Amino acid sequence: MKKFELLGIEINKVPLTQLLFNKTMLLAYVLLAIGVYGIYDVIVERYFIDAANAFDAGMHPGSVHVAEAMKEAIFGNGGEVKREEPWTIYIANYMYMIYSGSGIIFLVALAELFNVEIIKKTAAGFMTLGLAIVFGGLFTIAMDLNILHMQWMFLTPNLGAGMWLMLPLYSVYIPFVIFEIYLLLTNKHDLVKKIAFGILILSVLIDIVEYYIQAKLFNMNTARHLWTTYPNLTLYFIISAFVASSGIMILYSMITYKKNFPVEFKQLSGFLVKVALVCIVLLAAYEATAFLFIDKNWANVILFGRFKYDFYIYMFFAIAVPFLLLLLSYIKENGSVFFMTVASISIMIGTYIGRLIFVYGGNAYPMSDRFGTGFEKYSEYSIAKSFIFTPPSISEIFVIVGSVGVVFMVYAILENFLNVSKIREH
Amino acid sequence: MNFAMALDYQNCINCKACEVACKEQNGVQLGADKQRIWVGQTEKSIFGLPFVNYYPSQCNHCLDAPCVDVCPTGASHFAEGGLVLVDQDKCILCKGCMEACPYDARFVDDKAVAVDKCTFCYDTRISKGETTTACQATCPTKVRLFGDLDDENSEIVALLKKRKFFVLKESEGTVPKLFYLFPEDERFAINSIGSDTTIYTWENFKPILEKAKAKRGM
Repeated sequence: MKKFELLGIEINKVPLTQLLFNKTMLLAYVLLAIGVYGIYDVIVERYFIDAANAFDAGMHPGSVHVAEAMKEAIFGNGGEVKREEPWTIYIANYMYMIYSGSGIIFLVALAELFNVEIIKKTAAGFMTLGLAIVFGGLFTIAMDLNILHMQWMFLTPNLGAGMWLMLPLYSVYIPFVIFEIYLLLTNKHDLVKKIAFGILILSVLIDIVEYYIQAKLFNMNTARHLWTTYPNLTLYFIISAFVASSGIMILYSMITYKKNFPVEFKQLSGFLVKVALVCIVLLAAYEATAFLFIDKNWANVILFGRFKYDFYIYMFFAIAVPFLLLLLSYIKENGSVFFMTVASISIMIGTYIGRLIFVYGGNAYPMSDRFGTGFEKYSEYSIAKSFIFTPPSISEIFVIVGSVGVVFMVYAILENFLNVSKIREH
Repeated sequence: MNFAMALDYQNCINCKACEVACKEQNGVQLGADKQRIWVGQTEKSIFGLPFVNYYPSQCNHCLDAPCVDVCPTGASHFAEGGLVLVDQDKCILCKGCMEACPYDARFVDDKAVAVDKCTFCYDTRISKGETTTACQATCPTKVRLFGDLDDENSEIVALLKKRKFFVLKESEGTVPKLFYLFPEDERFAINSIGSDTTIYTWENFKPILEKAKAKRGM
């Protein structure tokens, strides 16, 4: 394929048809099409739903819109989110993608710092994958917010709010990761050698700051004791992200390197399996002790109440199954690829459920026990609940599917132009 | 000024006139879940004797409000009189304030595509010279009393000096400003107040208010 050079990087002159109609892009289109339907539905629900107040009812008594609004008010589902459960699957998916994506970037930086040769050779591909997943997470959160008012993030910032800190964080983080990828791809080796160590240290620091800010975001919600009493939330986010990231990295290396680079793949998978095993053990130790410190009201709902089966499934898929299979894969040579595949998929499912439990679990214990005498009813027409859980709507799920499409699309475009997955000697 | 409200909740008969008046006065979105104020209900029975508690409630306009801290754009802010208000034009609908509120006092206004909550009728009544909120004005059993805590001669301070009271979820450390008057009927008090609740006198509570005001620079 013809190439041209820009800032020391070789860029493929990809024909438009190849860029737009390869297998990965076609899969991305399908996922994005589902996502677009979800977005359409969410936008209609958010901006064009018939809603009315008493003034509308008085001023326009014969209006069809007012009638529809009243019908919605009485028989509808109460708008986009419920007051007792403001954060839903968008936040869980955002967490999963942002943490896993930056977890990959963090792991690669650490491995490079410790001079792990096989990761150095494959770092560009992994970091691009991480970045693509981060974009998937940002896509999800963009759908959750009223983006028409986003200018106020710049005009009247609240510098201490965890939510606001996301803005400077990702304004720095994303260009920084792109710069790291640039350094991995460029031919300017002298420049890279001079600044590589400093950039790696900076990368690790930025990754730690990122998880700290994410933890602050949850920790500031003082009334949600699951999030405020989770011991050392920053560390938990890092460990759980590393588990998810290692699963994704194993699957990615199988898809990308197994067939064409068997020797490198063996080295790579051997390293990643070890990383995953260590991280799983750490996560298991964390989960086994964390609930000793978590507020008993929240711990009860999660361990013994509505969320107990979700928690068991999380433990099963994120910890038990991958630990067993990866251990077997580590010990035995035969069948290890199958074990690794199942283990990596299991990790991805399990850690996703873990994020759902964390977000939904934070809201699971009702705030409505205001007088300490029992839960009050939230709605005039409902009974008092001892737990809060509202399943996500189909449109929300479609948006989540669309976010996976974003990941595929971003990665496929960068791979086509830059050959990021190529094994590079440094 | 430091606006607050005392609630003689024992008098509440759950007529919901306050909810209706609030919607009518402030143009709150229609819908049972879209309430700036509400009457909570619990049903219990002790030794076979059933009873229902009615708990009128709304935003507590906390002096140390976590909803203000988490808001990324300053949409949730402290306004005149220590009120916690939402500038809906600035709300990006991150819903962080809804998560931060220990009282579930906030909801999404689908008309404004922003978070909404009780304003103590500041924009619709108090700033125009009225001395009461719509909910207080309409209550047939005089549950609510709105007033200024900084004015030692105000009715609310006089009432709080006379009656013992408690606040909701004191352990959250938000220094709320809805003061629930301790019921005169002891049996009603036992049935409607949790055993962990601290009962205050005005002398006990005033230093807590002052400390919170100093922290926030009010």
